[in-house]
Amino acid sequence: MKKVINIPLGSQHISLLEPVRFQFKTHNEKIVEVGADVGFVHRGIERACVTQFEWKKLPYVVARVCGLCAITHSLSFTLAVEKMLEFESTRRIDYLRMLMVELDRIHSHMLCLSHTAENAGFEAMFMEVMAAREPVMDLQEAISGNRVQFDYIAIGGVHRDISPETAKEVVATLDALKPKIERLLEEFSKNWSLSLKYRGVGMLTYEEACIYNTLGPLARAAGLRTDVRLESSDLPYEEVGFEVVLEKGGDIHARNMVRLYEILNSIEMCKNIVQNLPEGEHLLKIKGKPKGEAIVRLEAPRGELMYLVRGSGKNFLDRVRIKTPTFSGIPAMVEIFKGSEYADAPAILASFDPCMSCTAK
Amino acid sequence: MKWLAQFRKKSPWILHYNAGSCNGCDIEILAALSPRFDLERFGIVNTGNPKQTDIFLVTGPVTFHSRERLVELYSQIPEPKVVVAVGACTSTGGVFRGMYNVEDGIDRYIPVDVYVPGCAASPQLIIDGIVQALSILEKKNKAIEKPFRLFGGIKRIGKKISRLTMAKRIGEEK
Amino acid sequence: MKKIETTLERVVKTIEEFYDRYEWHFLTLNGIDLDDGKIELQWIFAKYGAKDETVVFYCITDYETEVPSIVKLIPSAIMGEREVVDMFGLTIEGIEGKLYLSDDSLKTPLKTMGLGGCEV
Repeated sequence: MKKVINIPLGSQHISLLEPVRFQFKTHNEKIVEVGADVGFVHRGIERACVTQFEWKKLPYVVARVCGLCAITHSLSFTLAVEKMLEFESTRRIDYLRMLMVELDRIHSHMLCLSHTAENAGFEAMFMEVMAAREPVMDLQEAISGNRVQFDYIAIGGVHRDISPETAKEVVATLDALKPKIERLLEEFSKNWSLSLKYRGVGMLTYEEACIYNTLGPLARAAGLRTDVRLESSDLPYEEVGFEVVLEKGGDIHARNMVRLYEILNSIEMCKNIVQNLPEGEHLLKIKGKPKGEAIVRLEAPRGELMYLVRGSGKNFLDRVRIKTPTFSGIPAMVEIFKGSEYADAPAILASFDPCMSCTAK
Repeated sequence: MKWLAQFRKKSPWILHYNAGSCNGCDIEILAALSPRFDLERFGIVNTGNPKQTDIFLVTGPVTFHSRERLVELYSQIPEPKVVVAVGACTSTGGVFRGMYNVEDGIDRYIPVDVYVPGCAASPQLIIDGIVQALSILEKKNKAIEKPFRLFGGIKRIGKKISRLTMAKRIGEEK
Repeated sequence: MKKIETTLERVVKTIEEFYDRYEWHFLTLNGIDLDDGKIELQWIFAKYGAKDETVVFYCITDYETEVPSIVKLIPSAIMGEREVVDMFGLTIEGIEGKLYLSDDSLKTPLKTMGLGGCEV
């Protein structure tokens, strides 16, 4: 029997952290068509950036686009402005910035993993991952002064220097986190009941990943070698031991594995950064007003983030364009939903790690 | 039915809705439910169903797109109920105040009992707010509180647009 | 960053010749309001695995002319095109806006930016 049933998911749903609305059309249990409404969180930040706030305040405004990857937002804007002002940062500034971006990636990936486990029906795993995530939040608080929304990046450097005691604490906490991640790695790959929900579900092939220009962990799980940390020379990632993580499967399981291995890689990088921290100033003076145009790309936890900034030497900029990772990922997400069972939809959705406040700005 | 109030206080269920926030407060609410802060020791369970809810946690400065959903969710929650506004932008609009698609705080639409400050509000503050909300919940009765809703067009003062005069309680509009 | 000027008539053909999906990925379509009632449209591409290689195709046009769509070539361009329709009030063939704005929101919020103030 081919009867079409309409099932809405959202805008408020227990499996959703943020409002997004999907309209599924199903044949019995199989999804055949998907409509997505992503504009629930549209606040109008791009316009406010050019009419309401002066350019020096903007790193703190664009951080409020998204609470999870706030640091990458303010960092990419700052890098774009610094390019226009021809500012040369010191190595210590670069290292401190990288440290916070990588800590942010660790906690964001762990939140996504716990959410994926919860949506697959494994409540105990959700609690375990959230408990393991707390020490990372404490580290962020020790370094920057706040758990989330730490306005750490300033134009011309970072707001706080790291003390030797905090540096020791970073190494000790990350050393304690590593065995927990290794245990999770084993649990996520060997647990039989989780594999029922993860393996072969929500498939994205290499070919589809290329067609739909997917980014971040979604693409790397399908075998597409793309990572802006590799493709950009704004931050010296090679010096601290960055490696691209690639998987072949393209299903939810592969995405989880990509995230777990990336956490391990980020832990290594953070330890390298803290142990080889160069000497120098952490905040330098800047002169002038931004003039010209600059494009900056940076790897946020969910994929590539792009800022295009244009200014003409005034207090207000001419244009700030924010291209966020989930924004480019939505056509691929809609494609993945087609052909899968409706009961798997929450787990698939969580495995994308969608960020709607990024998408709608 | 006085004995019901005791159960309500010992096991209040929460509903969380994001009305346009940046996610910062939402992940802090999740962190408050996780083992470190353990909101569940107060008998609190996160539910997805407004009809089983006692405490309504709202984050975000109410975007135009999400207003109807917010009022709809609020009216579906049975009395007595309390509303907790989590975060600076939920209380006053915060950094988003004056942006073109934003309503500057949720108290233009629904009556708020507890305001939790902070950008982002820390889990300790959220727990404090919820515990305060519990004592307010105890005193409330079955009287129905009506939400606000915007009716009609837009008033212009000079070059700026004002929607303040347009808000009326549901059932009182004429 | 490499900037290549093109025109509205040539843009689809140029991108078709340029784009190889195993080598390049499409970032977004971007519009910038210029003060004199014109708009600059930018199609931004980046290369997989290469350091700092971005290519920007741009053209300057007015608001009335219909803009060709590249969705048939690059399916993921639909989000960027819908956003430009929503934010600037352009017409793109076969693309419907209505991505973010509600009925009583500001119409075309990024359009008349340079002129001071905007349509309500």
